Order: sequence, then structure tokens, then C-alpha cells
Amino acid sequence: MAAVTHQAQAIELSGSRSADAASDHDLLAAIRDGDEVAFQEIVRRYRNPITNFVYRMLDDYDRSVELAQETFIRVYTSASRYQANYSFSTYIYRIATNLAISELRKRKRRKVVSLFSPFTNDDGDPVELDPPDLNMLQDETLIANERRKAVARAITSLPQKYRAAIVLRDVEGLSYDQIAHTLSLSEGTVKSRINRARNLLKEKLSAYI
Amino acid sequence: MNSCREVRKLIDQSEKPDLLAFDVTEHIERCSDCERFSSERAGLRKLLASPVRVSAPVNFDAALNARLAEVKARRSLWWLSAPGYLRLGAATAGVVVMLFAAHYIGLFSKPSEPASQTGAIATGPQPPAPKAAQKRDMVPSTNERGDNSSAPPEKRIRRREVALGKRIAPPAVLATDDGGVVIVRGQNGEMDIQMPTVSVGAQPLLLVGAGRRVTPSGGRTSF
Repeated sequence: MAAVTHQAQAIELSGSRSADAASDHDLLAAIRDGDEVAFQEIVRRYRNPITNFVYRMLDDYDRSVELAQETFIRVYTSASRYQANYSFSTYIYRIATNLAISELRKRKRRKVVSLFSPFTNDDGDPVELDPPDLNMLQDETLIANERRKAVARAITSLPQKYRAAIVLRDVEGLSYDQIAHTLSLSEGTVKSRINRARNLLKEKLSAYI
Repeated sequence: MNSCREVRKLIDQSEKPDLLAFDVTEHIERCSDCERFSSERAGLRKLLASPVRVSAPVNFDAALNARLAEVKARRSLWWLSAPGYLRLGAATAGVVVMLFAAHYIGLFSKPSEPASQTGAIATGPQPPAPKAAQKRDMVPSTNERGDNSSAPPEKRIRRREVALGKRIAPPAVLATDDGGVVIVRGQNGEMDIQMPTVSVGAQPLLLVGAGRRVTPSGGRTSF
């Protein structure tokens, strides 16, 4: 019944109804029928959140953009297998999370070292190579920039199982239920992981809290 | 009354930290440790959410469409871009199918004799059969038996060819009376059971036994 409804809505989508007003499920049904406009609308809605989420996971903008594009390609190619049991945001975040975790595992195997952080301090934490900028900056901008880098470093230092949960909750603002479906975990496990991640972050970011 | 542990758990796991229950806020106002914990969690949440959100680059859609076009092209020609073992497997499967097809249409079998030559065998003098074939073949030829002179000429030809050890191509269409016979040998002697022609593992043999036919028109099948 739901599939029939979605198909009917998909037909309407390419006709009189605007793609802007369609729900995510309607757009997916239209993509399944080969509607390119619906796919562009999905991309328009989720390109920034997905790019930001992957960037928070990896702290590598270029790779984050590539993985965000890969996320949309997978949405397109597997649209026929999409089941509207949960919200589409849960579905697309799940794809992005899997890609990001896969990338983190690859980096761990290859021991990839970022060109921007080839050095470590006495504690083993990466220290960014920060060449002097001759331009004058306001103090507030400097502080905000330093805080942003500290948060990024703290997040990337977390174990990946905590990282995905805390980014989805405190950066992307997903509910515990959505995170549980995204990560295929129980809600209790998600809450436990977020609590531990916050405790770890509190130690690393105590100077900024 | 909530304990500090329960209150902190509620603070930490709240979907909306600004909208805590009344008893929790009341406890926070009275307990300095829980108040500090609550402010720390609020500060941490604010800190994590505060970094400037990155956006997709302006060429995101163009690059995505280019990659998507590549994926579509790759999917349409997946077998060309498949790994070597997949291509090798596909080629092997193709060769096997061709061999089966060739075997099925009879490319590897002996060429069949022309009809005029077959007719000459039926009417003309019979060539001497090989000795080994005569010894091995317990079935007497039609002429030796002499009891089937009323059989149609086609059947006589076929039986003669069997006696000479020649290979006979099966008829294209089997009649209903071409069913086989299974010989079951038990304590009480032979027992003939009529069977349909299509039976697994059965080889149609013409004229098996001590020189007499059980059914006048059908062949025999023996396991």
C-alpha cells in the first residue's frame, strides 16, 4: 500500500507537484523511477549536512567531499532497494557513517599521516604545522579558530565507535533513536557511548569549556 | 527523590537539555556537584556544536554528476571492467556452452550415411560382419532369424545395422509403442515390465535375451 502511494506520488512529482515540496520518501520513489530532478533535490537537501558530518569524522575536507559524493552515488544506485521503514536522513547518515568508518580503518591500516600534522608533541598528540600568517587577525577570530582546531583534534582522537555517536548527537543533532538506527545499535548502547565520549572530550577540552 | 547519579544520567541522556523535568532542575539547584556537571555538559554541547559548519564546494553537483555518469557507464559495461577471474570464468562458460551445443547438434559424431546408400544396404547383398562384432553381439540378425519378414523395411534396416555393430541415430519422434521393457531377474525367473520410453538411466537395446522378442514392436530396456 505504501509502495503504491509512493509510486503515485512519484508520478505526480514529475508533473504538477514541485520537487521542493515532496518528502524524502517521495523523492526516493521518484529516483527509483529514474527521475533525475528528484535526485538533484535530494542532493540539494543533504549535501551540506553530509559533507559536514564526514568532515567532523575525518577532519579532511577534500576526502570528506569525495565521500559525501560517494554517499549520494550509493543512494542513487541502491534506490531500488530502499525501504521506507525509517526516515531517509537515518538511511543516508548510515551510508555516510559506514563510508567514514571504512575510511578511518583504511587510514589506520596504512598509518596515514596528514601533511598538516606531521609532528607530535610530548603527549603524542598531533601538532599542526602552522606557518606564520603575516595578516593581522582580530583576537576573537584567533580564539575561535584555535577552539575549532582543538575541537576537531579532540573529536578525531576519540575511538571511532565513540566518534560516530558523538558527532551524530552533538554536532548533527540527531535523536538517540535515529543514531541507534543509523549505527545499528540499541538505544542504550548509543547513550552509553555518547556518555563515554563526552567524558573523554571533557578532559581534552577542559580549557575551552 | 532522585540520587545524584540518576540526575546526571537524566541530564546526559536528555534529548532536550533545556527542558529537564521539574524534580531534576530542583535537584540541580540544591546540589552543587550536579550543577557543575550540568554546566559542564551544556558547555561541551555548545562547544561541539559551535564550530563553523563546513559546506559542500560550489562544484559539488557537477563533480557528483560526472562521477555518476562514470558509474552508469561502468554498470552498462561491467563485464569489460570486471576482474580477470570473472572474465576468465565468463569465457570458460562460453566455451563450455559452445561445446555442448556442438555435441548436441552432432558435430563430433560420425557423418550419417546418405539415404541412397542405406537403401542399397536394405536391398543389396549384405557385407560380411566383423568377427569380433559377431561374437560380441548375441543378437541374431533379422535375416538369420527369418521370423520378421513382415516387418517394415525401415525396421529391417535398423536391425541389420545393429547386427553389424553400426551406430544408429535415434528416431526424431518416438512412437507410443517404443516403450522399454525392464527385465527383473528374481527367484521366480524373468518378469517383463512395460515402461515408458523416458526413464532415467535406461539404454534402449533391441532384441536382448535368448533370441525371442517379448513385445512385437517395442524395444527392450535393460539395466
